[in-house]
Amino acid sequence: MAAPVSVAYTHVHSIRVASGAEALVARALIADGTAGFGFTLNLDAGVARDMAAWDALGRSRKVSLFGLLGGSFRRKVNLARDENPSIPPDWTALRKGILDNRYELLRIDPFAWGSVELVQTIAAVAASFDLGIALLAPNAHPWEIQYCAALAATIKGDDTRIIFRKELSQKQIQVSSEPGFGIDWELEAGFAGVRWQGPG
Amino acid sequence: MVHASSMYVIQKTERTVIEMALENGVTGLGETWGTPDVYALARRFARDCLGKDAFDRVALREATLGRTTYDNRFGRNGLATLAGLDLAAWDATARSLEMSLAELIGARRRDSIDVVSTLPAAILPQAVSRAELTAHLDDLSNTRKVVDFALEQRRKSGFRSFKLKSAAYSPEWDWKLLNELREAMPGARIRFDPNANYAPATATELCRRLDSLELEFFEDPTGELEGIARLKAAVKTPVATNMWVVRDEHLAPAIRRQAVDVVLGDLFMWGGIDAWRRMARTAHAFGLKPALHSVYETGIATVANLHLASALAEVEYPNDSGLHFLSADVLAEAQEVKDGAMQLPAGSGLGVTLDRGKLENLTLETTEVGRCG
Repeated sequence: MAAPVSVAYTHVHSIRVASGAEALVARALIADGTAGFGFTLNLDAGVARDMAAWDALGRSRKVSLFGLLGGSFRRKVNLARDENPSIPPDWTALRKGILDNRYELLRIDPFAWGSVELVQTIAAVAASFDLGIALLAPNAHPWEIQYCAALAATIKGDDTRIIFRKELSQKQIQVSSEPGFGIDWELEAGFAGVRWQGPG
Repeated sequence: MVHASSMYVIQKTERTVIEMALENGVTGLGETWGTPDVYALARRFARDCLGKDAFDRVALREATLGRTTYDNRFGRNGLATLAGLDLAAWDATARSLEMSLAELIGARRRDSIDVVSTLPAAILPQAVSRAELTAHLDDLSNTRKVVDFALEQRRKSGFRSFKLKSAAYSPEWDWKLLNELREAMPGARIRFDPNANYAPATATELCRRLDSLELEFFEDPTGELEGIARLKAAVKTPVATNMWVVRDEHLAPAIRRQAVDVVLGDLFMWGGIDAWRRMARTAHAFGLKPALHSVYETGIATVANLHLASALAEVEYPNDSGLHFLSADVLAEAQEVKDGAMQLPAGSGLGVTLDRGKLENLTLETTEVGRCG
C-alpha cells in the first residue's frame, strides 16, 4: 500500500552522493501541488517513490510522519552497531522464524522491505509477539538514519533502535517534528543539482 | 423490538457520546459503552486528556491507561473508555488535516460496505424472564418466527449477511433454525453466535453437524481459547471469536495455538483504532481474517467501523451492525442500509454531524470537562 494520497506525478533521478555511491532520489507531486522527496541507496526506486508520497502528504498537511500514523512512542532513538544479519523481505521466513522463537529482535532493512506500510505491519507483528525492532540503515548514510528515525518514532516497544554495520560516534538521534520525514536534503550537494521533471 | 441472546434480553441500549474540542476550533466525535462505570471513567479520562496533543494518540493512551498492559487498572472498561476518546481524537485529527477517517487510517478503498443483520435468538413480543424464554424455546415451531424475521430484513434492506444470536438453550433449536434459515436463503452468509454458552463437547458435536450448511463462520461456539481451538480442529467451517481474542496480549497465543480463523474485533474491547489496526495487520500476516464486531452502537461508532473496513485491505467480511435496529440516532444524516450495504460518508473525519436536538432527546446525563474561558 502506498501513502493515502493521490500522487499526480513522480520523477526518480540518479545522483552521486559524497561517499561516491549512487543514490536514487524521487520527487512526488500530489494534487494540491505539494512536493515530497524520497531516496534510496539500494537502487530500488519503489521505496524512494513510497517515501516521497508520504513526505508530500506530511508537507501538504504540515504534519510529521508520526502525526500521520497515530502518534510517537519516542522523541529520541538509540543507535547501535550490529553485525547480525537482517531478515530478508520474505513473509514466510519471517512468520516461521517468529513461531520458532528464533528472534528477540526483528532486524529489518526498511529499504529492502520497501514501504512504510510494510514496516508498520512488521511493527504490529512485533508488538503482538513482544519482539523488538531494529531498523537497519544499510549504508549508515545520514538520510537513511533520519528515515529510520521517523519510522522508529511510530514503533511500539523500548527495544526499538537503529542499527548499522560500522561504529558511529553518535549514540542517539532526535526524531524530527518537521513535516513529512524531516530529512535534511541539503546534506548531499548532488540533491540541489537535480533538474526535476514535471510540473511545478 | 426485543433482542435475545445467550447473554441478554434487551429492548434498549445506553451509550456514551463524546465530543472533543481542539484548540484549533475543530471538534471530533467519539462514542463508547454507556454503562455507569464507563461513563464515570470517560469523565476521568477526558480530564486526563486535557492539554494533550490529539494528533498523538500514543500520548492519550499513556495519559489515561499508562504505558503497559499492567498499568491499565481499569480492565475492559478502561480500554473501552479510551476507545471512545481515541475515536474522537482520530475524528478531530482527520477533520483538521482535511482527510477522511479512512484515509488517515490507511486509505479510502471502497465506499460501500456490506453489513450483517443480527437475528435474535427468538422473536418475542416483549422482554421476558429467562423462564419464559426457555418455555418459548421448548416449542420448536417458534423457529419459523426467526426465519420470517430474517426474510423481512432481506426484503426491507437487501441484507445478504445474517448473524444468528443463539440462546444456546438447546442444540435442537439451533440445528432446526439454522437448517430453516439455510433453506430459506440458500445464498446468504449466515454466522452463528452462541457467545460460548455451549460447553466444548456439546458445541463440537453441534458444529460438526452444522458443517453441512456451509455457514460463514461459527462465532464463539464455545470457550475458552483451548476449547475453541479443539473445536476449530474438528470442523471445516471457519471459527471466529470476539470473546477470547480481544486484547493485544491474546493475539500471539491464539496464533500459536491456531485457535481461530477470524478475529471479530470490537473497536471498544481492543481500545481504539490504532490497536484495532495493529490487530488486523498481525492477524492477516499470520493468515487470520480480521472483521468488525458491533453491539448496537449509534451512528458515530457504526460509521467509524465503516471507515475501518474501507481503510484496511485486510478486512474482507461484512461488518456487524446494529444501528438499523435502533429507533433513534444522534446523527443528522440517516445511516441507512440499502441492498445490504452502508455507504461511507463523504467529507473529512467521520463525515457525519451530531444532531443536538436528537442528542438532547436521548440524553440521560451530560458532563462538560475543562471548558477554558
